[in-house]
Amino acid sequence: MKWLRTTITQIERPAPGFALLRFAGQPEIQGEPGQFVMVRGAWGNDPILARAFSLVEVGVHGAILVRVVGRGTRRLADMRPGDSIDVLGPAGHGFDFSGKGDVSVLVAGGVGVAPILMLAESMAASGQRPIVLYGARGSGELVLCERLASAGEVAVATEDGSRGHRGYVTDLLLGVLEKQPSAHLYACGPEGMLEAVAKMAVRRSVPCQIALESPMACGKGTCKGCAVLARSGQYLYICSDGPVLSADDIYGEEQ
Amino acid sequence: MTGILETRLGPLKLKNPVLVASGTFGYGVEYEDIMDISRIGGICVKGISLTPRPGNPPPRVCETPAGMLNAIGLANIGYDAFISGPLQRLRELCATVIVNTYGTSAEEFAELARRFDKVEGIAALEVNISCPNVNAGGIHFGMRPEPAREVTRAVREATRLPIIVKLSPEAIDLAGVAQAVVEAGADALAVMNTIRGMSIDVDTRRPRLGSVMGGLSGPAIRPLAVRLVYEVHKAVSAPIIGIGGVTCLQDALEFFLAGASAVQVGTANYSNPRTSLDIIDDFETYCIEHHLFPSDLTGKVQI
Repeated sequence: MKWLRTTITQIERPAPGFALLRFAGQPEIQGEPGQFVMVRGAWGNDPILARAFSLVEVGVHGAILVRVVGRGTRRLADMRPGDSIDVLGPAGHGFDFSGKGDVSVLVAGGVGVAPILMLAESMAASGQRPIVLYGARGSGELVLCERLASAGEVAVATEDGSRGHRGYVTDLLLGVLEKQPSAHLYACGPEGMLEAVAKMAVRRSVPCQIALESPMACGKGTCKGCAVLARSGQYLYICSDGPVLSADDIYGEEQ
Repeated sequence: MTGILETRLGPLKLKNPVLVASGTFGYGVEYEDIMDISRIGGICVKGISLTPRPGNPPPRVCETPAGMLNAIGLANIGYDAFISGPLQRLRELCATVIVNTYGTSAEEFAELARRFDKVEGIAALEVNISCPNVNAGGIHFGMRPEPAREVTRAVREATRLPIIVKLSPEAIDLAGVAQAVVEAGADALAVMNTIRGMSIDVDTRRPRLGSVMGGLSGPAIRPLAVRLVYEVHKAVSAPIIGIGGVTCLQDALEFFLAGASAVQVGTANYSNPRTSLDIIDDFETYCIEHHLFPSDLTGKVQI
């Protein structure tokens, strides 16, 4: 892991309330799909904490996808090229997608598309063509679809029916799992979606990795703030044990 | 390094007066990949209990204006795992280790002190009688002079290590608690731990923390901490370590002028884990430019 003070090099605004921030690597940003960085701007004492973001791109530039949900994300989304940011990472454990030849099904909900996009592009680079299911409340919250489409077979769902299937992304997953019972699942999205995906996977004994999120302070396994209760009855820490965990570890059925 | 920052807190000698606060820097070793942790004046490790503790139900942290609430519940790996794990590495790295200890009774505090007394590589104990996030012990010992005195005396009788007692801002008479623990043998005082706060999500109408209440920290509480350092400094002659929202040299200087002989950096470690090193560098430059030692500033606020 590295800590660096770097600068924003480019900002894309793929939809209202979203910003794709690229920052200089000095010399390179490293990381695997599912790993994250803690990011904070040079804005004094408030808000005090860095924010955790999944890596979307690594290399000479790193990139994160910001969705505005509060004061910190608003300030990040309003930044301009040349502004200074602090970046700590790469943090946590990413997706394990070494099992080539399996059918990979990627499920993204909302801003959870960030690590799913990097995973899809990494799979595509290694010769796979994953199935990508992407859900949001409405079409205005579906971002980076063109990039997803060049990496995999994409199907979308919106709760208001403004694009793709009207309903939840898990409706799409149900259909895919009927045709692809030997799939490997990879998911990131809101807690309700992750729970639904994980339980579908556990019920069918389908391998499933989920990327979780939590309020977080350190990003380094030290503050013990991001606890999640595992099936074992023990607490796991999303920043250091995760953020990618096996669906079975969290939502598996009692033996 | 010129040595200009060398600091004495009673029997405790430190290379500089900028420490990192317990609970905000893990066991220290987690940061060796991004900074030279041996440069820090002292690493107050995450509170250690005799046996491991799992901690409180989530969510355990939430952000508040210029600060944060936490209700971790002293999740820690326990004495045995600390001794055989992180402490070995801290010694290899030549870090200055201050062990924050937590017990549910004076006897548990004493037992921890007895055990650490025999362990190599520990600079001091920081006795935590001020954690607001546990049902037993913690803040319950720090609210009034007598329980605070009893715990300190028990620890004093169990170890020759320098003892820092970490006080709570919620004590009804903090100067009285400070006097009691100094009489009982404390070598230095850490002022202050977090103060209990609460935050509610108005959409869900639920508390933002699983434990409902948690300890408030960060720049939001700095004026309270500065005031308490000032009051305790007037009441006792023991050295004081100021804690509460230190983010930069200016904040540290404020604590020194109020009466502190050292400071701890806490929540700011989450904004930038290297904050303590930046303050050390800036403090050294400041002392050279002003031809003074840090101790020349202690209590020098002009009223």
